[in-house]
Amino acid sequence: MSRIETEHHDGTSDATPGGYEGQRRPGELVFGAVMVIASLVLLWNAYGISGFEALSAPGSVPMATTAVMAVTALVIFLRDLRLPRVAGETVAKDILPGPVLVIALMLVAYGVLLKPLGFLPTSALFLIAALKMLARRGWLWTIGVSLGSLLLIWIIFRIVFTVLMPAGIVPEAEAIQAFRNLFAGGK
Amino acid sequence: MDAFLAFLTVFTQPELLLLVGVGTFAGVYVGAIPGLSVTMAVSILISFTFSWDVYPAISLMIGIFMGGVYGGSRTAILLNIPGAPSAIATALDGYPMAQRGEAGTAIGITTVMSFFGGFIGIAVLALAAPLVSDFALKFQPRDYMLLAVLGILLVGSLSSGSLVKGIFAGALGIAIGAVGRDPLTFTERFTFDLSIMQGGISFIAVMIGMFGVSEALMQLHHVDKTAVRQKISRIVPSFSTIRKHLPLSLQTSTIGVIIGALPGTGGDIAALMAYDHAKRVTKKPQYPFGKGAIEGLVAPETANNAAVGGAFIPMMTLGIPGDAVTAIMIGALFIHGLNPGPMLMIDQPDMFWFIVGALVTANFFMLLFGLTGIKLFTKIVEMPRAVLIPLIMLLSIVGAYAVNNSITDVYWMLGFGFFGYFMRHYGYPLGPVILGVILSRLLDDNWRRAIISEREDLGRFFHGIVTSPLSLVLFIAVILIFVSQTPLWTRAKGKLLGDPAEKVKQ
Amino acid sequence: MKRIVLGAASALVLAAAAASAQDYPTKEIQGIIQWGAGGSTDTVMRSVTPHAEEALGGTVVMQNVTGGVGAIALNQVAGQAADGYTLLMGAENPLLYKVMGLGDKDYSDFTPINILARGTPILVANPDAPFDDYEGMMAYIKENPGELRLGATGPGGLPSVVTAMINTVEGEMDVISVPYDGDGPALTALQGGAIDVMPAVLGAAIEGIRAGNIKPLAVFDVAANDKLPEVPAVTSFNEGYNTYLPWGPFFGVFVKKGTPDDVVAKLTEAYAAGAETADFQELMDNRGFTMMSISGAEAEDFLAKWQQGTTWLLQDAGLTKSSPEDFGIARPGN
Repeated sequence: MSRIETEHHDGTSDATPGGYEGQRRPGELVFGAVMVIASLVLLWNAYGISGFEALSAPGSVPMATTAVMAVTALVIFLRDLRLPRVAGETVAKDILPGPVLVIALMLVAYGVLLKPLGFLPTSALFLIAALKMLARRGWLWTIGVSLGSLLLIWIIFRIVFTVLMPAGIVPEAEAIQAFRNLFAGGK
Repeated sequence: MDAFLAFLTVFTQPELLLLVGVGTFAGVYVGAIPGLSVTMAVSILISFTFSWDVYPAISLMIGIFMGGVYGGSRTAILLNIPGAPSAIATALDGYPMAQRGEAGTAIGITTVMSFFGGFIGIAVLALAAPLVSDFALKFQPRDYMLLAVLGILLVGSLSSGSLVKGIFAGALGIAIGAVGRDPLTFTERFTFDLSIMQGGISFIAVMIGMFGVSEALMQLHHVDKTAVRQKISRIVPSFSTIRKHLPLSLQTSTIGVIIGALPGTGGDIAALMAYDHAKRVTKKPQYPFGKGAIEGLVAPETANNAAVGGAFIPMMTLGIPGDAVTAIMIGALFIHGLNPGPMLMIDQPDMFWFIVGALVTANFFMLLFGLTGIKLFTKIVEMPRAVLIPLIMLLSIVGAYAVNNSITDVYWMLGFGFFGYFMRHYGYPLGPVILGVILSRLLDDNWRRAIISEREDLGRFFHGIVTSPLSLVLFIAVILIFVSQTPLWTRAKGKLLGDPAEKVKQ
Repeated sequence: MKRIVLGAASALVLAAAAASAQDYPTKEIQGIIQWGAGGSTDTVMRSVTPHAEEALGGTVVMQNVTGGVGAIALNQVAGQAADGYTLLMGAENPLLYKVMGLGDKDYSDFTPINILARGTPILVANPDAPFDDYEGMMAYIKENPGELRLGATGPGGLPSVVTAMINTVEGEMDVISVPYDGDGPALTALQGGAIDVMPAVLGAAIEGIRAGNIKPLAVFDVAANDKLPEVPAVTSFNEGYNTYLPWGPFFGVFVKKGTPDDVVAKLTEAYAAGAETADFQELMDNRGFTMMSISGAEAEDFLAKWQQGTTWLLQDAGLTKSSPEDFGIARPGN
């Protein structure tokens, strides 16, 4: 599942990004093509902001930057065209192996469920599923670790930093108020 | 004498001393968690300390500020996830060190250098605040613009792979920064007529996505590999190491103080500029930059902590915030019945010296907490990745949400997480994207202000540059750095010096 | 199984909502602040709310939701249930959203809980500017057309309204308008000499004026302000301003329209009590704000008048995207 060529080609450090200098990885050409198209769309969009109205127009810097994007994306794409493919690498094995794809889909599901279901249930489901899949340990351990760390995160963000994550189906605010009233005692 | 007594306030009142300590301790952890920011913590403290006296309230805030700026480096080194934007540069060399098992050394040197930088910042605040704030006020829109251009040229040193890909990434960052309603004319830019795009894209969300989620996805490739064992026997760096980096840290601290003192630029830009500076002046690093050079840690960490003292300079002398945190502190002073402004130093000099004293105390606490408790932190990286990865993802989600209490930011964060994952695979550097987003508004807004002020006349604009000494110096710096980065120059230099190490990367 | 849990949970929420009318508040209240941490709106709201909480016997958790000139926050509150558990803490800008094309909602979709205070605009200059008062500035502009750099904060901001007022009363000024993203950065630029003159809110400029870093030209009010008695009111230079003044930005707390009356009454009472505390009054006075603390019909009336006057002023100055008429905002005096 996880055969990576060498330490400095795995892209884990930003200072030593992945990719190969003289070769192209599977999918790199598609990515490059998407970047070219996206840059051109953005350039067109930037032109639409204010055209060539004035040097100080809100669209001038966006136009300049998207033009740079389009040119560099094109250069990268054309250079990639001439490069040989990395031998022995495939998208399914080296770029998007099973676990990455599954976790990515789980993150998308998280985003979809966050608002209707609420932070606590969604996060609990996500953590339990991800931990079960990655660590492959017993249910008791999985659920224990998931709920324990979720509780910790919830206390830090919700109680200490009063970040109001979407409550969804959990009557969080009522519970906290009830708790407060309990402490406030006779008041 | 009064000033000295005011300076000592914190040391003589155990309650204040305790509060600074608690604040610094909390700050280190707040700073280490991506998405929990010092700005957030301090603004919550405003309500929390509402009924307190002003000294205890400020003590706590200063502790959080100092500790938080430092704390960002922790996760940058250990997980390659900067806890705050000002620690992005720290990740570049800190993480490679941790991969070698030298996280302890990295944290040690970071702590000592942060302390040093913080101290320089405070010293400048205490001794030369009016001077520096006068200088900072001199920056005109065109100077800010030149500064932004100077910053954008850092793309060169942040993209160790392909320079073209780096330029693409930088331009992308600037475009991301422009999304939403333009703050000057309220024109919609890159919104595609969608209402969720109007608010723009929070750059913290971009940063958390690109560094947090994409890093975590990347780690999935070797989820079963055991983590690198960290040597943490020798944490405090030797005196000779410190002395060796003293000249560099003085230079980068100066960068930090000045950038920090400028209203509108803060520790994030300072750290990146300092990193670039270190890369430029260090002739023979023990390890190359990007592979765990100590200089690559020294520079950003001295600079971002020096920027703390710097940010207080315009706040104390003029009532103008030097960054987002000091902006909130000004609000706090108001709420506590003070009137921060140019008269504060004259009406209430005690306040100034008290703040200086609190900063010094916080700096010492930072050193203390920085050098202890490292074991706990390194335990985090030694946790099984199967546990660590889902937790990083959850923290990234909560963190992105917390910035502006918006689910849209969570979607952006995830989107940029996936995008960054592919960028990493295909050799696009991520640093320039964040650099672009940070500098986007500085560049765009000030370019427009500058050219509007000259009535859209480029001739008048350049005349303005050559007649102002400050602009001229910045302009020359831009030209020099630009020329020195072009392949032509590198080749010429390589030939002249016959240095085979100067390989031109294409 | 999941169905049952969901059902039970939503039943609980419903029960809690039904109970809310009598013993409001039964849960934490969210306060959405339209502007960023450290700004005037933020400072005002964070200092009045703890007092209001006391009177209310509940907790208000404040959050800053910025972006889109405050429209993001407004829409967020408008999207919540009208149960009094989400408050909008905002400034005057929403009243201009419609004509400025920034959104299709404004305070007419909300019920004012308390309009806390109002600010006074003041025209200030860099201390090195070659004039010392409003009259001198007008003369300078006539002699040096297109040279004076005037600070602005985007369409609909205080400077744009004051500038529109000057243009209407004195005739079009030939100046360079340099945009900043807020009066804080603009006043900084003024002290650094990047701009020459700036219409600002008195509270933001007062400390700079006291220190001599900023030169006051005229207070945009019908009389001089107690905080700066030596600065003349602009009406003493030109009577024409009497039509538009007094005018100023304001801060207020709002709930979505349709919130139960008893909840509105409870909140109104709480914020009125909060506004009355000496601490808060002193803070507002120090910052040069005029206390209002009005609610109910009086506040509605104030908002309507403010919107009429300002939108038509901007319309006549040619700064709007669409006419106030399109939204049923009548010209003042009609």
